[in-house]
Amino acid sequence: MTEISPMEEWLYSCIRCGNCKYVFKGYAPSCPSGEYFNFESYFASGRLWIAHGIQKGELDWDPSLIDPIFSCTTCGNCEVQCLAPHREHIVEMIEELRHLAVKKIGALPAHQKFAERIESNHNPYGAEHHARTLVQEHSLPNMASIVYFIGCTSNYRENEIRDSTISILQKAGVDFTIVDEHCCGSPLLRTGQVDEVTELAEHNRTEIQHTGAKIVITSCSGCYRTLIKDYNRLGLELDVEVVHISQFIRELINEGKLILKKSFEPLQVTYHDPCHLARHMGEYEAPRDVLNFLPVDFVEMDEIRESAWCCGAGGGCKAAYPEWSLETAKTRIEHAVETEASTLVSTCPFCKRGLADANNDSMEIIDLCELVDRLS
Amino acid sequence: MDIKQRFENIVGTKYVSDGLGERYIYSFDMTENPPRKPLLIVMPSTVEEDKKIIELANETLPPLVPFVTGQNVGGLTIPQVEGAVIVDLKRMDKILEVDEEAMYMVIEPGVTFGHVKRHLDKHHPTLRYTYPLAPPYTSVLANALVQGLCDLSTTHGSMTDFINGLEAVLPTGEVVRVGTSIMGDGNWFARYPLPDLVGLFSGWQGMTGIVTKIALKLWPKKKFEGFAALFTFGEHATTHLIKKIARSGISEDLDSQSLSIIKMLLKVPYPVKHFDGEPDYGTVIGYTANSEIELNEKFRQLQELVDTAKEDDPRIVLIPWPTVVKLMGDQANEWIDFPSDAFKVLAEHDGLTWVGTYIHPKHWGTALDGGRKIVEKYGFELMAFMKPLNILHIAEFKFIFRFPKDEETIDRVRKCCEELLDFALSLGALPYKTPIWSAKKVQKLADPAFFELARKIKKLLDPNNIMNPGRLDL
Repeated sequence: MTEISPMEEWLYSCIRCGNCKYVFKGYAPSCPSGEYFNFESYFASGRLWIAHGIQKGELDWDPSLIDPIFSCTTCGNCEVQCLAPHREHIVEMIEELRHLAVKKIGALPAHQKFAERIESNHNPYGAEHHARTLVQEHSLPNMASIVYFIGCTSNYRENEIRDSTISILQKAGVDFTIVDEHCCGSPLLRTGQVDEVTELAEHNRTEIQHTGAKIVITSCSGCYRTLIKDYNRLGLELDVEVVHISQFIRELINEGKLILKKSFEPLQVTYHDPCHLARHMGEYEAPRDVLNFLPVDFVEMDEIRESAWCCGAGGGCKAAYPEWSLETAKTRIEHAVETEASTLVSTCPFCKRGLADANNDSMEIIDLCELVDRLS
Repeated sequence: MDIKQRFENIVGTKYVSDGLGERYIYSFDMTENPPRKPLLIVMPSTVEEDKKIIELANETLPPLVPFVTGQNVGGLTIPQVEGAVIVDLKRMDKILEVDEEAMYMVIEPGVTFGHVKRHLDKHHPTLRYTYPLAPPYTSVLANALVQGLCDLSTTHGSMTDFINGLEAVLPTGEVVRVGTSIMGDGNWFARYPLPDLVGLFSGWQGMTGIVTKIALKLWPKKKFEGFAALFTFGEHATTHLIKKIARSGISEDLDSQSLSIIKMLLKVPYPVKHFDGEPDYGTVIGYTANSEIELNEKFRQLQELVDTAKEDDPRIVLIPWPTVVKLMGDQANEWIDFPSDAFKVLAEHDGLTWVGTYIHPKHWGTALDGGRKIVEKYGFELMAFMKPLNILHIAEFKFIFRFPKDEETIDRVRKCCEELLDFALSLGALPYKTPIWSAKKVQKLADPAFFELARKIKKLLDPNNIMNPGRLDL
């Protein structure tokens, strides 16, 4: 856990004005949790005041606090809409509250499984660990200037993202390799199980260092955030440049290293901003730049960029609150359908999974890497 | 079957909670008013569910406290007795009708100012509603029922004056309508003729039933609008000039405030102090017109009034808005585009409160002068707000406090608010969005026959005293 307590520093400036509940001046709902559960305690301001009550001793730890504390995707839309001094620290405070809740009450069973599976198999899915076998499969070197950090969801669930990323890198002649990566720790950090993350981070740092790489590319927005922001907070800087695949592809196209096909019947595509890449890390342009390079008709949804509606899968919510997570994703699909696009593109395997599960064959749901691989 | 299960049978298990977190969050508001935990919270979505909730309450007798979007003040939604059930109405959030010809809208309790603005801008761009200095997601219905003020109050009075009619579930379970909608749907165009029974619900703080629909006047949106900033010195001179501008009818909205609030908007850090030589008040003056010629003429007339005042005090300044934007940047346009944007200056600590009253215009300057001395004595920031209502039939006298919710400060806030109210009451003012402590003070001074009548009406409408008992200390 970070030594600075965001709760200590920022908890006492929320008057529950409710600005966090809706897109400021856009008036569309911003909080998936509040919109679904409705009670005041399920909005950001309610969670901060639960923390307030706990800190001041006005509220005792009780199992009934679990749902309001953990049914938050930590999407950070509240931070964009809030106008109060603490606005940039809301998600940090919710994560700190979760950490306290885990200590006092214990982790949710669905979240505890993440920890157990990561300990036994190095990934939260409990899949057989095989990161290193990809090196032989794709004839990759042991040492390279670039490491592709796959991420557990791409490696063990949404394999198309992993495979298309490797394909793109090979088409462009990139000198890269894959390491014996363990889970980056994001599922634990988001669910209050912070203490186990340092060991994972140290392992990944060592593995990356052994390759001599100066750049780490990842196709997972969650890993991207964790490798940069969270490792930094934990005091475990990787000493390499961490790049999201959308940023790297933009560079490959700009430098002429990745040649794009021509298409006479361009797809109609729209783009969903993953919370971890966009609001958490501020990267809104790279995926859009890539889409604008591609032979597709790109159309935007109404709620985008800083005010994009979350897919509902983050913050451990898909595992612990599947019904709500699905409803949240359905809302995002509805936003996409309104654009009349045929294809919904994202840049995060977790978004892809969440959106695909909610899709009723109304759209094609793919990752940017898959689309780029198809059109290059 | 316990009472929770019986409420669940009405609205579904997902919409009833007696969780510790929910009971805590619904036990207080942003102000200094003392908290009290409810027994549980229930969230209906239809009039039929409201009716069943009230019928169940009449049978089992838990008090019901109406609640909507959560930005509450004055302790208005804090239960005054043990075992209360909060009826959170935010799921009733439909804009049911906009009548372009008679210029009104019919809405449910959960509809907010932000949503009205979005809806009108998109579907009825020639019409406008009004916006308070409140968060954009405040309930429009609740604000109208508790006599809140807004950026059309200078012209049209409090938001209660905008009510054409309403539908309510009475404390005994009957659904009633008042206003012209008693002749059927699509007919909410007026509050009169016949007895004005809107008064059975406005200002009652939820003690006379659950209002499920309200019809509110909309206004034509004129093509041209202009704004100016006026900086003035001294309470009496300021109110004298504001009165003259209000009575001239030039301005649609006059929003006067202590200079400290302008400095807060400019990000001067807490605590914001006033320095000698600075203007005491800044007033945003809004005016509209059907043509540019008319707009320019209104500004000319405004300038003429200010020039006359400058003969007594040459330090007075009137600045056209384009110049304000040059001085303060684009944020100045944000404030006038949507007044709620300025609310951010009030979000500094975890507490916010005010003493707000309607006062006779003749006492305005005296009240501000005396109020300022009281606030300074207690060491709080100077945050006076004042607005002429209904051209100038009424004046608003209000001081706001942003404060950390620690025991010592809460105690100081309470003492300062009490002293301010005592002073305002001595000038014949009456508080709006009235907290209990404030109602007690009013009852000591006011004609007892009024409160006796209010008690009789309450008893007649609510024989089991289930609707928000204890409010107004009745």
